[in-house]
Amino acid sequence: MQEAKDLTAAASVNLPELLAPVDNDRELLRDLLSIFAEEFPRYLLALQEAVAHEDAEQVATVSHTLKGMLSNLAVTKAAASVGQLEQQARVGDQSSLMQAFVAFERDVQGLLPEMETYMAEAHP
Amino acid sequence: MKILIADDEVLSRRLLEKTLERAGYEVSAVENGRLAVEQLNQPHGPRLALLDWVMPELDGPGVCREVRKHQEQSYVYMVLLTSKESKEDIVAGLESGADDYLTKPFNVEELKARLRTGERVLHLEGRLVEAREQMRFKATHDALTCIWNRGVIMDLLGRELSRSQRESGCTIMLLGDVDHFKSVNDTYGHPVGDEVLQEIARRLLLSIRSYDFVGRYGGEEFLIVLNNCKPQFAEARAEEIRKAVGSRPIETGNGSLQVTMSFGLLLSHDWGVRPVEELLHEVDSALYAAKAAGRNCIKFAKPEVSAEKAPPVLRETTGPRI
Repeated sequence: MQEAKDLTAAASVNLPELLAPVDNDRELLRDLLSIFAEEFPRYLLALQEAVAHEDAEQVATVSHTLKGMLSNLAVTKAAASVGQLEQQARVGDQSSLMQAFVAFERDVQGLLPEMETYMAEAHP
Repeated sequence: MKILIADDEVLSRRLLEKTLERAGYEVSAVENGRLAVEQLNQPHGPRLALLDWVMPELDGPGVCREVRKHQEQSYVYMVLLTSKESKEDIVAGLESGADDYLTKPFNVEELKARLRTGERVLHLEGRLVEAREQMRFKATHDALTCIWNRGVIMDLLGRELSRSQRESGCTIMLLGDVDHFKSVNDTYGHPVGDEVLQEIARRLLLSIRSYDFVGRYGGEEFLIVLNNCKPQFAEARAEEIRKAVGSRPIETGNGSLQVTMSFGLLLSHDWGVRPVEELLHEVDSALYAAKAAGRNCIKFAKPEVSAEKAPPVLRETTGPRI
């Protein structure tokens, strides 16, 4: 429970910000959150593998996609950190990729459970 | 209005789709740039597009470049969605042919406002195209009958004669003149005369194939160009056209009138390579012969026959045919 609380604080999602782009359409929000819950782990794994293989091009591509997803869901802090990772990959700074990835991972820890909570709250 | 969303990221695509549907757009969505180009290049495809910058197959600027290559189609207003914020990126995006860009994550009201700008541009473009088409129509069509005007039918005739010479084919020229048209005007007035000409043009148009041509050659004269015809069927085709005009009365504001036409007919392959003006002169002589033979009939322009039976008659020296 304590862990979940901490992770929520790290992810920094807030419901009003989430609802604004969807025009307070809770059904759409649930739809988006469910897409996120399905897609996010896949992208996170792909990013992890790309970083491990020092594949800067793939890191940039996946980071870019994740940045878009997170921005759309108003997860600004994590969006900024994955944006940083994308930037480093694009300039070919491979030495700092792992470090930036670890920072991003920290920012998204607990994000999925938090999203699930919002999905429950967003239930019409 | 139709709008295309191209974005490989499913969450963003879904959000845009729903937002735009709610704003009243007819939305279609694709997940890569190649599919976007396919849709936008369709004749009745969307004319408004939101394109993600980074996409598989072809990126947003690539889509813009591909679409702009097809200048002949209706204008497509394209907005790039980007998280790139450097001036160089934005300039590159606009240079690729995009009309606008929007930074992600987008603000819904800003998105709608920018799309409304796009709609205004497209509306203006639509009006300009319409005006251009009207001008083009007026420049190429006869104002009264709405068939090709003299300039265009002469150009089309020249083109078809060249083609039939090149391909050893045969083009049929039919020059027709409304019988006793002067008396229609004198008896019933010019408005009725105009109605007669309009109806004759309509009947002529209906009696030819889609790839044949009919134009108003002069006052009550019509020139018909039948392409790629078999000479043995020429007379039968011409008879069908003559009958299409005269087989039933024309209803006018002043009652129904029985109107007929006389025709001169020329088969291009009988004449070898001759200037268009010379062939027109010959078919005009054949028409003159048809008038002389009692009207409502067809006379052939044959090289040997025309020299004997219908000596060249200069248009300026003859009175109006009636």
